[in-house]
Amino acid sequence: MIAHQLTLIRREIWEHPAIWVSPLVIALIVSMLTLTGQVSVSAFGEAVDLAIVGAQNADEVHRAAIMTGALTAIASIFAFGAWIVMIFYSLDALYAERKDKSILFWRSLPITDAETVVSKLLTALFVIPVVTVVVVMATHLLVLVLTSIWVKFQGGQALHLIWGSARLGDIWAACVACALLLPLWMSPLIGWFLFVSTLTKRAPFLTAVLPILLLPMLEKMLPMRSSFFIDAIYVRTFQPPLFDLSGFERVEQQIEEQFYSGLPGTEGVSLLKHLDVAGYIASPSLWLGMVVCGIFVVGAIYVRRYRDESY
Amino acid sequence: MTSLVSAHHVSKQFGSIRAVDDVSFEIEKGKIVGLIGPNGAGKTTLLKAVLGLTDCDGELSVLGLDPFRQRKELMQNICFIADVAVLPRWIRVNQLLDFVGQTHPNFSRARADKLLAETKVRSRAKVRELSKGMVTQLHLAIIMSIDAKLLVLDEPTLGLDIIFRKEFYANLLNDYFDEERTILITTHQVEEIERLLTDVMFINDGRILLDATMDSLSDGYVQLLASGDKAAAARKLGPIAENELFGKSVLLFEGRGRDELAPYGELHTPSVADLFVAKVKGARA
Repeated sequence: MIAHQLTLIRREIWEHPAIWVSPLVIALIVSMLTLTGQVSVSAFGEAVDLAIVGAQNADEVHRAAIMTGALTAIASIFAFGAWIVMIFYSLDALYAERKDKSILFWRSLPITDAETVVSKLLTALFVIPVVTVVVVMATHLLVLVLTSIWVKFQGGQALHLIWGSARLGDIWAACVACALLLPLWMSPLIGWFLFVSTLTKRAPFLTAVLPILLLPMLEKMLPMRSSFFIDAIYVRTFQPPLFDLSGFERVEQQIEEQFYSGLPGTEGVSLLKHLDVAGYIASPSLWLGMVVCGIFVVGAIYVRRYRDESY
Repeated sequence: MTSLVSAHHVSKQFGSIRAVDDVSFEIEKGKIVGLIGPNGAGKTTLLKAVLGLTDCDGELSVLGLDPFRQRKELMQNICFIADVAVLPRWIRVNQLLDFVGQTHPNFSRARADKLLAETKVRSRAKVRELSKGMVTQLHLAIIMSIDAKLLVLDEPTLGLDIIFRKEFYANLLNDYFDEERTILITTHQVEEIERLLTDVMFINDGRILLDATMDSLSDGYVQLLASGDKAAAARKLGPIAENELFGKSVLLFEGRGRDELAPYGELHTPSVADLFVAKVKGARA
């Protein structure tokens, strides 16, 4: 069963190279931007010197907070990219095999439809985020190395300024936690996309997106003007109860403020401390979302299993 | 003899159309059965029912299993090639072999590699880079490397040129078939597989018109080539079909002895194609 799953998931990675190519492309762009940024900033010689002196004189907490903010910003670009890959992957996962008729070959092997659909769900919710987080770590390292070299050239103490301030263990732990936990919050949407992907005859993207756009509008036109779908789709999606930060903006400022607030549990600069993992896992909305995902996935298995496709 | 496939009063309805209409038959181990029928006769629907791809009414048992409800178990011992090219186009040949090797308990990678070494199919190639004939060779190599009890082929050589077609059937017979295996095959090119078959089934409008061993065909059916008065006299014996060839009448008889017909002219064993045309026309008349 598990060996089958690994084989099936490997097939998904073969079929959808975007799973690993997309984060690598983002990594390339981030590294190029870091490089070009450094080169162009270097033109302002005096200002750069001043900034480095400023950084050297700043206190430890401020430097660590700024570094955490910067590395979090990089990670969130990847998170956004991974989310897009997840959407397009899950829309394609059960649609492409019907379009090219390869479903007949896959179904001639002793693999159940449930095993196949579950492998696609796992690829979307687990493999894509994990591949992404590995590339995020590599990119963090690369950007730090590039920045160290640059600081060194500008006459700064790279080891102290850069590596002394980057709380990599803490940031990476937070990234891994987010990669494993956040997709579960998105799972009802992924389940819906997989279901559409096995159901629709054409245009899976439109078929999946139109109801998401139209249902909230239609609901507003009804006499009771309810907002069930707006809350369930839009409000909920963007408010996973995992962070105690308000959004990803000005992370460094929020971290610093917390640190200086002197409240218990705020010793040391830590991104991980701002994740409320227990509260997230205890959230009924998370579990309700996974139930909705489960219903869509069972629907997808059922359709793949019982639909009599003309061949 | 043990029945590998056993169908009793199997029917399948699509809306108001009965694609398969109260069909009963048995397929025994070690046979090569040709399922022959015109387009829309219900061949593919019947094969789909046998493969568990579609549900049907009546009793259908394949290898002692209910094909629709026990598909996974069934697929360990059945292989099939559908009438459309179905190998995924994005995959590499070696990836495909890895995948089948890891998911099919009865697959022999060594055998597949050996079979493919005799072709031009390279293991690093993607399926989309292969010609149509090579894709079929690849599919056949995979199928022949699976130790299956029943092989179902639905128009396996559709769109291939004559060289590939001949090679396909030669490989199937020489390297694959033995008394432990059973093959169920449909094709339009009846002439090409005629000599391969041990049994033949005709299907038209969802009904089985003929279900016989190839050996029994020469006993049960005789083709008479006669002219003039002799043809007129023979016509009174009730041929099931008649047509003209080079000014002579070709009469097809069912259940008439060769001794009885010999005085009227030249006797032949009808080809499966002739017999098929006669049966289908007879059923429509």
